[in-house]
Amino acid sequence: MKCLTILGLRRLAAAAALSVGIAASLAVTAPPAAAQGATIGQVKTVSGQSFIVRGGARLPATAGDLVVEKDVIETGGDGSIGITFVDNTVFSTGPNSQVALEEFRFDSSEFQGAMVASVSRGTLSVVSGDIARTSPGAMRVRTPTTVLGVRGTRFLVRVGDDR
Amino acid sequence: MRAPIVAALLGLSLAACESGPRANLFVVLPNPDGTSGAISVDDGRKVVVLDRPYAASQLRSGVAESVDVSEQDVQAAFGPAIAARPILPARFRLYFMLNTDQLTTESEVLYLSVFEDIRRRTVYQVDVVGHTDTVGTRSYNQQLSSQRATTIRDRLVKDGLQPGSITVSGRGEADLALATADEIYEPRNRRVEITVR
Repeated sequence: MKCLTILGLRRLAAAAALSVGIAASLAVTAPPAAAQGATIGQVKTVSGQSFIVRGGARLPATAGDLVVEKDVIETGGDGSIGITFVDNTVFSTGPNSQVALEEFRFDSSEFQGAMVASVSRGTLSVVSGDIARTSPGAMRVRTPTTVLGVRGTRFLVRVGDDR
Repeated sequence: MRAPIVAALLGLSLAACESGPRANLFVVLPNPDGTSGAISVDDGRKVVVLDRPYAASQLRSGVAESVDVSEQDVQAAFGPAIAARPILPARFRLYFMLNTDQLTTESEVLYLSVFEDIRRRTVYQVDVVGHTDTVGTRSYNQQLSSQRATTIRDRLVKDGLQPGSITVSGRGEADLALATADEIYEPRNRRVEITVR
């Protein structure tokens, strides 16, 4: 039954993505939500139960929300969130996921930066951006038992229950 | 034992439909051109480098092992995360006529495609960065590059973009698209780069 559940979720996510696509027009774009600290990215896609945890507050995520360093992305059983960062790194999580944006620095004129994200559970899709290009080791993704170093690529991370 | 049969009928692999605890799994995906970059996986004892499309590593009870994964496995394990992926950022280069903030004819056409791109996105952020060639003083070019970027920003706003979603900067002659000596006319350096994400 696990397989069927996975398929069901995929359909839901696809349907949500489609409805977002239909709604897309310049006119409906909401102004960015306020966030303290430097903006490091923006929520682009949301479906199901999806949250940004910031300083102890658990905020329902909405497309257009700005994210800052130390934010934690969380999704429930039917949730997903997609975020594009200011260095053009792209993250998206599946359901039952938790990803902490531990560290993010990027100087767009000097083209230098560092990024550390921590996946404690669930799934994460990554398309690396300018930070991963600046130097080897500039971008790292941690899991409870491993550290991933990223050299300009697309990749996927799943943190399961057998670690 | 029905799950594997259902999985086979659905074209999913057993690896993706495993019973029992799910292992940690890391997979490198191909770029659109079929190549890939690499990730290194450090489990505290050794480092495994995954450097080709669909190279994967699975961790069971703390032990990393290489595994083969197919596109179907990837969809089964990561489908919702992949479906949630935002439209990837896009970059555009608009070129200017000598010593002006006026676009070339070709770039006027490209300007319209910037808008087409933004229209595909539910929400957007836009960076506008101006540049010059090396003719003139640095300070003059710094000012000209800012002026070019501001001209484009103002036009984007006039055409309907939200001012708060646009950042503007000028890089003068500090960031040449084509490296030249000083005082060289180079149309490819007289540009504004727009990133839409």
